[in-house]
Amino acid sequence: MGRLRTIGRRSFLIGSAAVLGGVAFGVYRANRPFENPNLADLPEGAASFNPWVIIDSDKITLIAPHADKGQGVFSAQAALIAEELDVELDQVEISFGVPDQAYFNTAFADAAVPFPQYDFSDMAEGARGFVGGTLRAFLPIMGTGGSSAMPDSYDKLRHAGAVARETLKAAAAQQSGIPTAELKTEAGAVILPDGTSLAYTALAGVAGQIKPVTDVTLKDPSDWRLLGKPMQRVDMAAKSTGTQNYGIDHQMDGLLHATIKVNPRQGGVMNGYDDSAARNMRGVIDIIEITGGVAVVADNTWRAIQAANGIEFDWGPAPYPAEQADHWDVLSNSFTSEKLNAEARVVGDVDAAPGEAVTAEYRSPYVAHAPLEPLNATVLVTDERVDIWTGHQVQMMLETVVADITGHAAENVHLHNMFMGGSFGHRLEFDFVKQAAEIANSMRGTPVKMTYSREEDFAHDFPRHITMGRGTGRHKDGQVTSLDVEIAAQSVLTSQMSRLGISLPGPDVQLHEGAWDVPNLNLPNIRVRSYKETGLAPVSSWRSVGAAPNSFVYDTLLDETIHAAGADPLLERIRLMGHDVSVKVLETVGEMCNWSGHDLGDGRGRGVAYAFSFGVPVATVVEVSQGDAGIKLEEVWIAADVGTVIDPVNLENLAFGGTIWGLGHAINSEITYADGMAQQTNYHAHEGMRMYQTPKMHFTALENTPKIKGFGEPPVPPAAPALGNAIFAATGKRLREMPFHKFIDFV
Amino acid sequence: MRLTVNGQAREVDVEDDMPLLWVLRDELGLTGTKYGCGIAQCGACTVHMDGLAVRSCQVAAATADGADIVTIEGLGTPEALHAVQAAWVEHQVAQCGYCQSGQIMQAASLLNLNPTPTDDDIDIVMSGNLCRCGTYPRIRAAVKTAAVKMQGA
Amino acid sequence: MKTIGLAVVAAALFAAPVFAAGENVIIDPPAEGSVSVEDGLSAWARVYEVASHPRCSNCHVGSDNRPMWSGPSYGKTRPHGMNINAGDSRIGVETIQCSTCHSYREGLNDTPHAAPQVAMNWQLAPVEAEWFGKSSVEVCNQLRDPDRNGGRDYLETASHLDHDLILHWAWNPGGGREPAPYDLQSHVNDVLAWGVAGTPCPDDE
Repeated sequence: MGRLRTIGRRSFLIGSAAVLGGVAFGVYRANRPFENPNLADLPEGAASFNPWVIIDSDKITLIAPHADKGQGVFSAQAALIAEELDVELDQVEISFGVPDQAYFNTAFADAAVPFPQYDFSDMAEGARGFVGGTLRAFLPIMGTGGSSAMPDSYDKLRHAGAVARETLKAAAAQQSGIPTAELKTEAGAVILPDGTSLAYTALAGVAGQIKPVTDVTLKDPSDWRLLGKPMQRVDMAAKSTGTQNYGIDHQMDGLLHATIKVNPRQGGVMNGYDDSAARNMRGVIDIIEITGGVAVVADNTWRAIQAANGIEFDWGPAPYPAEQADHWDVLSNSFTSEKLNAEARVVGDVDAAPGEAVTAEYRSPYVAHAPLEPLNATVLVTDERVDIWTGHQVQMMLETVVADITGHAAENVHLHNMFMGGSFGHRLEFDFVKQAAEIANSMRGTPVKMTYSREEDFAHDFPRHITMGRGTGRHKDGQVTSLDVEIAAQSVLTSQMSRLGISLPGPDVQLHEGAWDVPNLNLPNIRVRSYKETGLAPVSSWRSVGAAPNSFVYDTLLDETIHAAGADPLLERIRLMGHDVSVKVLETVGEMCNWSGHDLGDGRGRGVAYAFSFGVPVATVVEVSQGDAGIKLEEVWIAADVGTVIDPVNLENLAFGGTIWGLGHAINSEITYADGMAQQTNYHAHEGMRMYQTPKMHFTALENTPKIKGFGEPPVPPAAPALGNAIFAATGKRLREMPFHKFIDFV
Repeated sequence: MRLTVNGQAREVDVEDDMPLLWVLRDELGLTGTKYGCGIAQCGACTVHMDGLAVRSCQVAAATADGADIVTIEGLGTPEALHAVQAAWVEHQVAQCGYCQSGQIMQAASLLNLNPTPTDDDIDIVMSGNLCRCGTYPRIRAAVKTAAVKMQGA
Repeated sequence: MKTIGLAVVAAALFAAPVFAAGENVIIDPPAEGSVSVEDGLSAWARVYEVASHPRCSNCHVGSDNRPMWSGPSYGKTRPHGMNINAGDSRIGVETIQCSTCHSYREGLNDTPHAAPQVAMNWQLAPVEAEWFGKSSVEVCNQLRDPDRNGGRDYLETASHLDHDLILHWAWNPGGGREPAPYDLQSHVNDVLAWGVAGTPCPDDE
């Protein structure tokens, strides 16, 4: 496929609000089916009717191409196929498969048009279709991120399962002489009218010879036997017995262990190093220079890390301000027409709006990803091919990036994707795999597992982007009349694309996502503007990206204005919303917690927040109490609309987990720079939430949104503002900067 | 040094200060025990040493010499789940799952010493185990279910 | 006590500590009557500097049984993270044993921000020796009172400083932590001088 760099120059890219105009492409090209990658090595007697199902005489294999970082999509994709294919999940093998264009993500288009995701009008859907088709023709991207796996897979994988089922029935019909209309399927077999059972595996040979039946009807959800019901995730037993292998656990003959040190002043140069002490340490096999730093190769991970810690480095300065205060200063001066990224929403006239004003400034700091499995990759380079074992979210691009380093053709570079011990966005970056590839390339024929120490993982994280918000809310006669929000932030897209050598045209939608697309259709005056900064620390997508900091800014300003108006925080949000699906979400959370106001007396208070991200409206209520030792999180209620619930058990786990992620970081986490380096080196300084602080939690899912949406990220954005709003309700103290523990104690 | 791991006698030749965690993972190939932080802040490395939970990243090889170690692999298997593991599956606790080996080993140790823990007991014993995915509500529920299972057995 | 299991654990944890080679303290008190009250009070002031230093006072906490994290390496003073509580046993028998993380180690655990370790079971000081946040007067009165100091006279207090390895850690904590002031031998000498002076406290008449 064409390399990303080249196509990027045609002014088209994911995430940009620039709608492609004037690019001609043929309908054929846009709609041509991709070749089935499974056909390449298909053994004799096996059948693969589409890229997601392989059947041979021994087994049925389902391909679940999306990366699984804990959000459960491995199991969910298999369930989508299995539902239609009429197999049980314990009858099949499931595989990530091979990275291929055939698995390109059809849902990335959803966010790449200038229509908010709650807009399902013909025009909006038409634009999405147009962009989707263009992407497919020119830039089919395989990737997992943006809570898109379920929207991408829902129709596609069920269709794949149905095609396989109908083709197997056709094979059975051919073999038995009985018309397909009289055949049923169940538990991996075609059932003849007389009760005879023909296993799919037995039919594979015949089925492989006939043309796949593609004219299929999907089951009505009311007929589902798996989907929509509580499921047992297929990876649960392995993850509960230490038998689930992550990238860091990969083993193979002859494997060596490596670690790296690169300049903690990210992007700064290495002036020199002295490895004389390290060279003689036990187990050290080699010490080599890599781009930006040094790698130590040893016979044991710990020995590699000890040796790396024994190297003296002379690191150059950071290409961004060395001190944290200067980062805030830069942002503070970014609210200018020169740096204007977009005037993303204008309704009415905020400058002429009536009523009293509430004006405030908000700060959302850098925070680390720090998934519990530190970044790692195992790479084996031979003259013929490259094999990579790691967990990664941008599977095909990874192969291209490594091919650039080793000089192989991209089709000879093979990623064997693995389950990840978390990502939160860090595993869509490429540095760690490039470093591993450089090491392995210098020792061809020897597999090398490169593992970051936890300290290197913190030093070399590309944190959530720093954000400053300013706004004015107006209120009159007990109602909010206007919201004018400005957001200045370091651009994630610019930072990421610069690491890939690409420059993006058009405005960066992530800078105002979560603010411009809060419906508030009954608010007569709205303005949302974003300002793009690009000279600060390198940053990356952190679970929910722009929506997390922007929801903190937007919803806290809204809450301040509502309180100034003397209105009820929940009722006023409902009144302003005007978007039916979102109103139901707010009403539901109110019912769940029996909302009767924010002030519960006795130092107890409740805060509500609404956020809209990745097409999912979420409303969260947090209740806190203030005691002598500090704030205690008592209880949390969450309501969300995902369109269609695939697995209510996993969905609830995501609701709680995403909320805990948002709350924990809001309370105690930040990355700050001093002398150009992140000051936080391990979890003691960046903890997130622990069990003893975790409140009682409740979740309700609604299904009124017309299309299925993902839920890996949406619970995160409302958490921090809900907590801040609750603390205000309980104490009268308004927190406008995170982490909150700088300003108030928590027990 | 000699140690017993999951009932098997093992012998390794390593420096005195190599953490037990890396003896298990890289020298003995037992990768169920995880590396998360190396400084006893996350608990992913928890194993049982002479019957008690310890953070194997803090145990020097010399200290483990002669000890009886049980790792997550020795607690139970998919075919023969320990009661705690069965409770974890029943409650669908895991998301990414990377912390869960440590969580389970700590929970098993808790229940060995305190078969009927209160909510506060669980919060005191389990808060050294970090979960970035936020599965704490389910861990609490699973510990309670496991307590009932182990009492009833 | 909850179960037999806990009792076994407690016994194991409180088993006689192994004496590490190395630190050798000389117990050589000044001659009887040779230390004035004034000099005794000066010696006491230095003893209190040690006792109130984070390397000591962080574990000399009261009956809430929570170790403290204070001192330059922690920034803000706060209770030990992770909701740690050593229980009335002061060694985590009822809760989570201190040695879960503070594993026995011969030699220093020098990794920054890791759990300090010694060749002895890590634990809190007895609850009677609550020093965190206490004044010189309060600590002095506790330390000289056999009813509140484990039934010791000043010579036994000094010897105790030699035997309990966990105390030596205060002057060699590793991991970038600030050591307690002076050194073990000087501290022992100050305790002895204070003892010979009649264990005077600053508020004595």
